[in-house]
Amino acid sequence: MDNILSVLVFFPAIAGLLGFVVNKNSIRTYGIAVTVIVFLLSLWLWFSFDMSNAGMQFVEMIPLIPDMGISYYLGVDGISLFIIILTTLMTMIGMASMGETKNIKNMIITLLFLEMTMIGVFVALDAIIFYLFWELSLVPMLYIIGAWGGPLRIYASIKFFLYTFTGSLIMLVGMLFVAYTYHNVTGVWSFAITDWYALVLPIEYQLWLFAAFFIGFAIKVPMFPFHTWIPYAHGQAPTIGSVILAAVLLKMGTYGFVRFSLPMFPDASVMAITPIAVLSLIMVVYTAMIAYAQKDMKQVIAYSSVSHMGIIMLGLFAMNAEGLSGSVFQMLSHGIVSGALFMLVGMIYERRHTKLISEFGGLTAVMPKFAIIFGVMLMASVGLPLTIGFVGEFLVLLGFYKVSPVMTIIAGTSIILGAVYMLRVMKFVFFGPLEKEENKKLKDLNARETWSLIPLVAIVIWLGVYPKPVLTPIDNSVNALLTFMDEKAITKEAKDMIIVAKSTNPSKLNMGDK
Amino acid sequence: MIGLSHYLILSAILFSIGLVGILRRRNILMLLFATEIMLNATNIAFVAISDNYGDLTGQMFAFYIIAIAASEVAVGLGLLIVLYKRHGSLDLDDLASMRG
Amino acid sequence: MESLVYVALFAPFVGSLFASLFGMSERQIFVGVVASLLLFISFLASALLAANLYITGDVIHITMMDWISAGDFNVAFGFVVDQISVTMMTVVTLVSTIVHIYAIGYMDHDKSFNRFFSYLSAFVFSMMILVMSDNFLGLFIGWEGVGVCSWLLVGFWYHKPDQDRKDNPSISPSWAANEAFIMNRIADLGMLVGIFILYWNTGSLQYDEVFAKLPELSESVLVGAAIALFIGAMGKSAQFPLHTWLTDAMEGPTPVSALIHAATMVTAGVFLVVRSNPLYSMEEVAGVSMFIASLGTFVAFYAASMALVERDLKRIIAYSTLSQLGYMFAAAGLGAYWIALFHLAAHAFFKALLFLGGGNVMHAMHDELDLFKMGDLRKKMRGTWLYMGFASIALVGLPPLAGFWSKDAIIETAFNEHTYILWIMLVITAGMTAFYSFRQVFLSFHGEDRHTALGFHPHEMYKFVLAAMFPLAVLALITGWFMSSYKEFIYKIGESVQYEMSDHTHHLAIYLALMVIFIVLSSITFAYFKYARTGEKAWKRDEEKEQGFFYKLLINQYYVPKFYEEFITKPYAMISEVFWTKIDLKIVDATVDNIAKFFYATGDKTRSMQTGNLSNYLNWMAVGAMILLGVAAISAMIGLGGIDG
Repeated sequence: MDNILSVLVFFPAIAGLLGFVVNKNSIRTYGIAVTVIVFLLSLWLWFSFDMSNAGMQFVEMIPLIPDMGISYYLGVDGISLFIIILTTLMTMIGMASMGETKNIKNMIITLLFLEMTMIGVFVALDAIIFYLFWELSLVPMLYIIGAWGGPLRIYASIKFFLYTFTGSLIMLVGMLFVAYTYHNVTGVWSFAITDWYALVLPIEYQLWLFAAFFIGFAIKVPMFPFHTWIPYAHGQAPTIGSVILAAVLLKMGTYGFVRFSLPMFPDASVMAITPIAVLSLIMVVYTAMIAYAQKDMKQVIAYSSVSHMGIIMLGLFAMNAEGLSGSVFQMLSHGIVSGALFMLVGMIYERRHTKLISEFGGLTAVMPKFAIIFGVMLMASVGLPLTIGFVGEFLVLLGFYKVSPVMTIIAGTSIILGAVYMLRVMKFVFFGPLEKEENKKLKDLNARETWSLIPLVAIVIWLGVYPKPVLTPIDNSVNALLTFMDEKAITKEAKDMIIVAKSTNPSKLNMGDK
Repeated sequence: MIGLSHYLILSAILFSIGLVGILRRRNILMLLFATEIMLNATNIAFVAISDNYGDLTGQMFAFYIIAIAASEVAVGLGLLIVLYKRHGSLDLDDLASMRG
Repeated sequence: MESLVYVALFAPFVGSLFASLFGMSERQIFVGVVASLLLFISFLASALLAANLYITGDVIHITMMDWISAGDFNVAFGFVVDQISVTMMTVVTLVSTIVHIYAIGYMDHDKSFNRFFSYLSAFVFSMMILVMSDNFLGLFIGWEGVGVCSWLLVGFWYHKPDQDRKDNPSISPSWAANEAFIMNRIADLGMLVGIFILYWNTGSLQYDEVFAKLPELSESVLVGAAIALFIGAMGKSAQFPLHTWLTDAMEGPTPVSALIHAATMVTAGVFLVVRSNPLYSMEEVAGVSMFIASLGTFVAFYAASMALVERDLKRIIAYSTLSQLGYMFAAAGLGAYWIALFHLAAHAFFKALLFLGGGNVMHAMHDELDLFKMGDLRKKMRGTWLYMGFASIALVGLPPLAGFWSKDAIIETAFNEHTYILWIMLVITAGMTAFYSFRQVFLSFHGEDRHTALGFHPHEMYKFVLAAMFPLAVLALITGWFMSSYKEFIYKIGESVQYEMSDHTHHLAIYLALMVIFIVLSSITFAYFKYARTGEKAWKRDEEKEQGFFYKLLINQYYVPKFYEEFITKPYAMISEVFWTKIDLKIVDATVDNIAKFFYATGDKTRSMQTGNLSNYLNWMAVGAMILLGVAAISAMIGLGGIDG
């Protein structure tokens, strides 16, 4: 299967189109079947992935507009591979765990289209294709929030759409300018990202372009102070919307930094370390404190999500393999853990139609299974060793310590503050006496809910104990990226800052080759 | 001797007349006429400049404008007739259904 | 031998998994029995490893599998069985086995019996990882693992509601559990920083590789690493100012207090310092070591002072644990690592015994812990009385029991190092220890019967439980006799753990010991006359005295918990609220919304241009054309316009 990536991208979309003719009663089975197939395909991608090759694999290239250098150009490396698997996994599990939903047919079709756009973003190697999927992903999400959301859904969905859209337009200007510069330098047009990598830009250009891309990505991440759309989006979105949003859509922002900003503007990236680190620290500490003040469980997790994204951002700009690999790993970890937490909150919401912490208490007595799974995810969220949350967080902090010990200590408070707000939720929801009458009748997780969560629990523990199968390919690609950045950087400061791991084997690296 | 500037002054005067017509008149038919005056003002300017530089492009352009103006009048008058049949008036102040 | 290592390590894990299989079902005695048996197997394996190490002197070092590797960072699950870790392994598994057997009886009536054993065995597993790991990150796994198990076990009776601090200083089990977890996390950050410092300066986290590189490191790095690691130790071992969680953790079931909050987990901090002895014995970090010794002495004194007035049986034992941890840190800080480790082991035995005895009392008194409501229990609980009295003698350090040898050695060390202030404080603390330990014994088991009037009908614990406690009593007696052979055993590790008294001290040792014994005996006598007598001279509660300044200061734990609440917890909640409602909603989000509103308002205003009247449009068009013309004319004049520039 040479064109596995195209299949991965378009299979969900075609299946989504066909979904219109599927009977309403069997649409759930249909949707789950499709996502399972896509998930299996992505697993196949992993197994046939050459672990020792740090460059792009499964490359497909069909020129679309040769005169403008726009082509249908796809490929994966160790970094995007696992984000794709995360995407297919979370779509599958999110769909399987979905409770009673009105207009379920439309929902499933929307989800399948969303899956296409998300995979598309992570496999695209042509800036135009990337941008296309990037913007398209907004549309299904807009529907999901706007059609299935809570009372404020219209406000939330429009805010989500316009906010991210504004950012991406600025990014588009940046992309056009890179292409224009590329044309000026080489005389030919190209929108292929791998071609752009070869372009060495003067510092001034780098800074402006970095800023343009930064706005597009930062809003998506979302970085402080661009994060305010996320509490509304999560607060109003249905469970499945929050799961996908937290697990995958936010990763598009951080992935963008890895795919574009770092390799294309190494000097500007190094110069941006301090400002970005400061913003990330604000994200980590400030949103963790806000999470503590929340009265709604889902908002706690929404803000905690921002706080964890701060750790990921910090790792991206650590400029060494430890931090950067940790950051990519943390993307996966955050996707799984926050996705699971949102699912759990959704399950309790379905039963009680409220998410207010004060409405609960002592739930462990009536819902032990629920409490156990919540506890495991909580521990993963606060970064307990031997859970998936620890590996990434530890590596990020370890990596960033090289850049700035003081900042690392401030960021490290996330392990304290995270425990503070998560344990508060645990205490007031699950512990204490079971007093409210409504809560005494609550039913524990049913089979569908349990079985959609157990795989996530298994992954949380498996990758916490033995992260190597995932970490090694990521690390290879990250090493390639850093080596490339180090060679490409033009200022001495940048070269000094970027640390290439001593264990990197140069023969395996082929960054920027088509 | 009548020079280029005289033509251009004439053109400007005609254009101003047309412009004032557009700004002041309320009858759509009159607006159409005013537009025609402005188009012809430009025609005069084109032809005069074309003559002055000895370049025929301007004159060619003037022909185009005449042709387009003619077809525009044809379509425009047709629309006016329909409008009149519908509303019984050609006064602009009565035709504000597109108000935002 | 390698397989023995795995048996020792994983037997508790298997026990935990086995118990968790039945976690949600009814109480099953065999769950407790199987878990205890597996722990006993683990103990046997540890003991065999210890014997092997004693005979052959071969340190076993194995690597199980890779864990995290990224960039140049590489750390594996590796385990080492050397003199230090084998000491801990044996102590931990032995005490755990006894506590497990004890818990079968103690938790008899609890509906979450099976769940309890699953947590307890998981704790032992984490503790084994902690002590056996061959690198700092593996230690950190165990470190956090025991933290989580402690959280689960302290909050075991999660259903209890929050109470006011006046009624219950620990508020509720779930509150105490969270407090313990969060305070430990604060310290864990320090430990992580220590790990970062060591990694970036030595390129490894494995003990032997790190310690080999230490001489090459600069002073600031060494001091930084030593401080950061010690902050980690302070949290786990509840040293001031991170000590408040330990007494609150007494909300957990008593076997948990005995195992985790007395014998094993809280000593992890001491273990860390002993484990890192090559670092702490460096010339450059002498200041840090001195600080450790001073802090340890201070905590020993500070905790003992709070125990003097406490009424809650378990909290007294918790304070005495804190105090004894202070002794261990004093020894470790002064360089006598092996004495610290020896006191750790001895303390584990007699303190576990004391706690389990306390558990018997609690069981008999239906969870009533107030000493003022007991009195004269020895008639009804003779076995428990003997055990607790014996353990208290061991604790206060009377020969020939374990506490005498190890504690006396610590006091001697302080004298030997010419740190006379520390020495005097440690001696005074020994006197205080004697007083509060026997105050507790006398108040509960002697004196007037105060409990019958209150409707308590205490009964002795099950026979098998008392029998299970017997080995601890034996160990509390004999451990001290093996001090010199233990010294010989542990000296094989290397020079950095070796510590000898000077000739001068050696000469005076007997007098010093006699002096301490004298102080201890007089404290006990004082306590006897005050609390143990019956009849007319019997002890009476003195309400007036309880209003005194010192009494109030001590009973309120020097107002430290109050201080934390007023100056940390409450402000944190307040600032969080302000961040959310004032800054995030009113400033950050409002800015975004205002930008959107600006565009919306602009559109709304300019909408009035859309009159629908063609004539108006044409006017606007003319205005627009004029403006464009004007712009073109101006730019032509100042030479901006034109495609060619």
